[in-house]
Amino acid sequence: MKLTEEMKDALSVIGGGGAVVHLTTCSADGKPNTVAERFVGVFKDEYIVIADMFAQKTRANLLENPIGVITIAHPVKGRTWAFRGPTTIMQEGLPEDYEFHGAVAKEVLEEWGNWAEKEPPSEVPPDIKPPKLVQRGVIIMKVEECYSYKPEEAGKKVL
Amino acid sequence: MAKLTPRMRNWLEGLGAHIGTATKKGFPTVIVVDKAKVEGDNIVKFQLTDAQVQQIKQNIEENPRVALGPGGLGSIRAAYQFKGNARLEGNTLIVEVNEIYCTKPGPEAGLRLDVLPYESILKFESTRWRDQGPPK
Repeated sequence: MKLTEEMKDALSVIGGGGAVVHLTTCSADGKPNTVAERFVGVFKDEYIVIADMFAQKTRANLLENPIGVITIAHPVKGRTWAFRGPTTIMQEGLPEDYEFHGAVAKEVLEEWGNWAEKEPPSEVPPDIKPPKLVQRGVIIMKVEECYSYKPEEAGKKVL
Repeated sequence: MAKLTPRMRNWLEGLGAHIGTATKKGFPTVIVVDKAKVEGDNIVKFQLTDAQVQQIKQNIEENPRVALGPGGLGSIRAAYQFKGNARLEGNTLIVEVNEIYCTKPGPEAGLRLDVLPYESILKFESTRWRDQGPPK
């Protein structure tokens, strides 16, 4: 599924006009985990990437159950979207040709493996800037569906 | 048993939450509700639309575990995650919170708060945040 331009704008760091999102993952037996993520981007129009800054439970969940939901949290501005699809974490040390639903780890990490350099924290408002940007890898979702979370039409297919 | 602080309560009541649910085999669905009502120490009630009930009913029936991430500006300023068990009574989703985590980015991300003495949670909050809830 290709993301629209409007979606790509929303899925970038908040200082750059994008939004903070919530990422929901769950254990293989269904215990959910929902956490806000501030460093968000798009890879090749079909994948959402998030800086993995030592997300502990998210990592444990994705290792046993590689699927997630990303919801736009703030500012929403009518962008009431929930993206769902296979999700994993890529980090240095994976085999050169490691691929996840068409995304090659080497390419993903080259583009998004160093957020501090690509989108320096100085671009992020000081009140949401983490004390130190320490990145372990990249959380990546292949977007397979997008539904609306607007209360009156919750679950309605957007794309 | 978890006990929500006034700050947690104010953020949840003011701006609601993103509510993570899943099938018992771990297929997630999230709904978003923009306000809530907190009752007692750890009960959070959300009023859902018919569409929202439809979307999560099956999940809640087969797997009552849910995760709450504060909505709107709360996703930035109220860096908490609440976990608990939920049930539906008509269009009301009733969540009994039994785990509370700090999700502030950095060294304290994932710190479990509900296991601390209540006074220590209040002290933790007062040294990390200045507000007591969302701006009016």
